[in-house]
Amino acid sequence: MAKLVVSRGGSIVHQSFLEQKRVNVGRESHNHVVIDDPAVDAEHAAIVPVGNDHILEDLGSVYGTFVNGTRVRKHILQHGDVIEFGAHYLRYMNPKASADRDLERTMLITGLGSTAVGGARQSGPPKSVGVPSARHPSVNFPKGRIRVTAGSGAGDAIELDRVVATFGRSGDRLAVIARRPHGYFITHVEGRNYPRVNRQSIGKEARALRHGDVIEVADQQLEFLLDQGASA
Amino acid sequence: MAHNFIEMAAVTDAGSVRQFNEDCVVTDSEIGVAVLADGMGGHRAGEVASHMAAQIIFSDLQSQGPQFQSGAGPQSPLRALDLSINRANAAVFEAAQARSAYHGMGTTVALAVFYDDRVALGHIGDSRIYRLRNDALRLLTRDDSLLRDQIELGLISAEDARDSHNRSLVTHALGIAKSIHAHVREDDASPGDIFVLCSDGLNDLVDDADIELIVRALKSNLPLAANHLVQAAKDNGGYDNVSVILARVGKPLPAANLRRWIARRFRWLR
Repeated sequence: MAKLVVSRGGSIVHQSFLEQKRVNVGRESHNHVVIDDPAVDAEHAAIVPVGNDHILEDLGSVYGTFVNGTRVRKHILQHGDVIEFGAHYLRYMNPKASADRDLERTMLITGLGSTAVGGARQSGPPKSVGVPSARHPSVNFPKGRIRVTAGSGAGDAIELDRVVATFGRSGDRLAVIARRPHGYFITHVEGRNYPRVNRQSIGKEARALRHGDVIEVADQQLEFLLDQGASA
Repeated sequence: MAHNFIEMAAVTDAGSVRQFNEDCVVTDSEIGVAVLADGMGGHRAGEVASHMAAQIIFSDLQSQGPQFQSGAGPQSPLRALDLSINRANAAVFEAAQARSAYHGMGTTVALAVFYDDRVALGHIGDSRIYRLRNDALRLLTRDDSLLRDQIELGLISAEDARDSHNRSLVTHALGIAKSIHAHVREDDASPGDIFVLCSDGLNDLVDDADIELIVRALKSNLPLAANHLVQAAKDNGGYDNVSVILARVGKPLPAANLRRWIARRFRWLR
């Protein structure tokens, strides 16, 4: 269960658990969490539960609401967030709301919109607004690039800063270089001849690339360069 | 009558963290049917639900394949697809009632049935269908999820949604109620189109721009494209099961080859 801890000058002045209802924060005594501070409005902010989230909303306060030093109007609280109210600090504690999503299981819940519940039928194409991917917290990718040393585009340098990059000619001889957390890998995509690395055919399997490897695909010769200083 | 040839590739993977795979994919490029299901429920009941649903829907559609082809059957593919989803729902719901270990189990579904130069699409829950056409990826389905509701109602921004913990909350699933209303619709399927069916283990971890890039770059080798999609999801954390079906619409077959091709396609009838 989520918990709110209010402190001032290092000592705790208030603690409460968040249940499935809205919590108002402000200077006046009718708020659920009262913070007696001149920089806090009478009704300053609210914490609204939605599903697994607690959403912090600033209620148009004069001095604003700051989370971990950044001013926010609306913010999905994360475990360990510190909300500043003048000289008071409100800490949000909820181990379930951390970036660790390992234990999340799919669950059924009632939707919010009337069309979302039960018999929603889709006729035309939907709005293009989709739910974007989750922010992945701590994946470090290496930094590599390709220098075209011979053939078409000789002299070009291509940063390998996306998940995949293809080389060669599509419809003829094509190879893909995939960027992965532990390095770059080249794989044959199409064509009669497999790409060559350091004058050896790579065959059908993915092959790990090392700094300085020389790749031949279609009419091009490429040199793979790995930024050794980059995080591994 | 223009029959388009469909090429398919499918991959399902437990992911980098979970021990079990509760996703299920079933495809048959010969009859042009692709079904993907992402199960939910404790003690591996999700696995039961997804496999039951996918198999029932698949064999239901398989047995009606010829009617789609002739276009003369009493049932339109869309209606057949809807009926198959309803049969699967009834079966999963009944099984969930019958055994306490299965209580509350359910599954998402995403499916595509190709016929003539059209495709019938169906989905429930947060499994998705995209289409790559002219190298641009487009999402064709609306997730039955709390997060999608929140974004559409303007309660949170799409950018903020990336920090939400509501990803696992679906608002609709197959097998959890006696009746079901799936989202079904028809679309045209042009030569060169690639349809992407996936479980949320893909799109929660790989953003649409990267899904588009991978499918576009590797479209000439569908199995390789499917593998790279799954690999990208696992590399980005892979905390969920991840499944992908890719279906590419080919050029219409010349009429001369058509009879032979149909005969091969429905070999199983004999």
